[in-house]
Amino acid sequence: MMQHYPVLSIIILFLGAFLNALFGGKSSIVRNIITFLSTGTSFLLILLLIKPIMLEGKVISYWMGNWIPVSDWAIGIGLEVDQLSLFFALLVSFTVFLSGIYSFKYMENDDTLDKYYVLYLMLSGGVMGFVLSGDIFNMFVMIEIFTFAAVALTAFRNYIEGALEAAFKYIVIGSIGSSFILAGTTLLYAQLHTLNMAQIAALMHKNYTPITLFSLGLMFTGYAVKSFIVPCHAAAPDAYMTAPSSISMLFSGMVNKAGVYGMIRLLYMLFQSINLPSMQILIIILGTITMFIGVTMALIQNDFKRLLAFHSISQIGYVITGIGLSTALGITGGLYHALNHTLFKGLLFLCAGAVFYSVGTTDLNKLGGLAKKMPHTALIFLIGAFSISGLPPFNGFVSKWLIYQSAYEEGFVIVTIIALLVSVLTLASFIKVTQSVFFGQLSKECENAKEVPIGMRIPMWIMAFMCFITGILPQYVTKYLITPAVSATLNIGKYIDAMLKDGYAEKYFKETVPVPNINYKLAGYWRPEYYLILFIIILLAFTLTVLAGGIDVNRRSIVSKEIEDYKYDTFYSGEKSEYSQVGGADLFWGLKYDFRKYFNFMHSAHSGVVNDYTLWIISTAAIVIAYIFLLVP
Amino acid sequence: MLIVLGIYTVVTKKNLIKTVIGLSLIDYGVNLLIVSVGFNAGGSAPIFTFNEIKPDTFFVDPVPQALTLTSIVIGACVTAMTLSLVIKIKDKYGTIDADKVRRLNG
Repeated sequence: MMQHYPVLSIIILFLGAFLNALFGGKSSIVRNIITFLSTGTSFLLILLLIKPIMLEGKVISYWMGNWIPVSDWAIGIGLEVDQLSLFFALLVSFTVFLSGIYSFKYMENDDTLDKYYVLYLMLSGGVMGFVLSGDIFNMFVMIEIFTFAAVALTAFRNYIEGALEAAFKYIVIGSIGSSFILAGTTLLYAQLHTLNMAQIAALMHKNYTPITLFSLGLMFTGYAVKSFIVPCHAAAPDAYMTAPSSISMLFSGMVNKAGVYGMIRLLYMLFQSINLPSMQILIIILGTITMFIGVTMALIQNDFKRLLAFHSISQIGYVITGIGLSTALGITGGLYHALNHTLFKGLLFLCAGAVFYSVGTTDLNKLGGLAKKMPHTALIFLIGAFSISGLPPFNGFVSKWLIYQSAYEEGFVIVTIIALLVSVLTLASFIKVTQSVFFGQLSKECENAKEVPIGMRIPMWIMAFMCFITGILPQYVTKYLITPAVSATLNIGKYIDAMLKDGYAEKYFKETVPVPNINYKLAGYWRPEYYLILFIIILLAFTLTVLAGGIDVNRRSIVSKEIEDYKYDTFYSGEKSEYSQVGGADLFWGLKYDFRKYFNFMHSAHSGVVNDYTLWIISTAAIVIAYIFLLVP
Repeated sequence: MLIVLGIYTVVTKKNLIKTVIGLSLIDYGVNLLIVSVGFNAGGSAPIFTFNEIKPDTFFVDPVPQALTLTSIVIGACVTAMTLSLVIKIKDKYGTIDADKVRRLNG
């Protein structure tokens, strides 16, 4: 019975989509019941799998239509669930379930909601099928399914400025990424005549040809596009910004993670023996660039959701860096951060959705003083903001700490410093958001704002609670979730055995890699010197803020001649009026002025022209392929 | 070759319809690649027959053909979806020039 759970948890989502298409148009109650039941059942089935897989260490394999391998040669399409797949499946089903509950209220004012739920369930089913699949072509098909659903959902609220444009960019960039993945898959098939991941991993062990290396480059770029790492990220902010918030949460919670999952499978499974340290530098550089550009772009945004989208990109940079470090500790940090990112970014997007629901805009310059009107949302937002900036005792701290530590151990001191700096900048930009959305003077647009209904607050509170739990209990979270997944990533012999037959992998993979248990000490708690460093970080963030304000004071004479605008008066001693709102764009005005060349360059680089974005992807592909051929022996 | 031509089209042409054509070209190129992978010179069609399978009969590989079919269907979906988006963009923006459809930037 157990081995049917994975396939059922995928099918039930697609079945829900189908039923919604048939009956969902009738009434909202039918629609909500179908959606709730299908996402809930899927979540439950995945939860039931935790015991055998995570705790007892089994690997479940399932052959679609019972096409079992004949004489060790995989023919059919296999589903395979090991600890890593289950970890991502858990993230997916959790996000989908909460987002579903949230959308019942959030989307109530839109029309054609039956189509929304059809697409919504297709998106979830696609990602779920992707992470549970053991067959690279099946993975490609699932990618296409969820990309389509994601594109359609991006354009769902087509009355929002730019939704169509965002959807167009997304589909162009997404389908170029998919084409790369398909071409890579084809080349692998041409070399090895099998599509099964376990078998490819076994056959390709220490046995590479130029063609397989080329296909590694193509597939790597394809998954990079899917997980939106810089410089393939350009469509992401547009799509996140214009999609409904419940969908933005899915984008950052699972569509991104699907790309990360694909990358882990590619690097640690298919090309396991490629001598990972040689790929390490490329991945770490990509990850670090992603972190840095993501956060600096976020600093100059004026839209709530667009800002969150750039932060999402930046956090994915952390995950990629952790995975690229290729030590057990690094992967632990990466996966932990993936989990935390799903939680706190989902939370923040839900808050943005709540603000949009009650005010009707996400423009930071129009919002202000909402803490009085929406106390729950403000509190939840603060929890999310603390988590993402890595303040203890929230969850971002633990995973970021693991990543700093493993980067430092591997000798990438610069990466650690940049990661710290990015964390500080993240905090800075969340200060800006909190200031301009929830504090300060109540703006005209927000006067009629009300607290969101209870149906929307429940998922938000659950997420906030989870953020807290994963922050204070890192040793349990790692023991039951992360460490099994990391050990499955590093020791793939079991996966191959379960797929084909016992002992098949033995001739290829002998040694097992141990994974350290994460305790409080490793997670950075109760070590005085670490708190000292932490204090320095906070001090840095504080001085940065002060500096930003301070520079304004010094430039007062120049500025006040140039700009006859009283909104800057808050920074100077004499305020015009007792209450004056510091707009979101102005809080770090000094910092932005000092680095204006860099910011202007970045601003003009994100030109919004789809051709440029495509060019970036093609250049990335070229660089990755060149790197692989030059540096990987 | 088709793939390269498609990429060139997507990168350089500013007309959104031409971008869609470029995407389709990439897709067809990949399809052709898949079919060529499975080709055996002189092989017969991979159909299961009960009679007269001679020892020297051999088939072309059936798996790539199945893959191509799937991929063609997906390609058709991409084209349909992008074209419908182009129509909507034309409605809303009044132009299909990529340089002018850039309200979301920076």
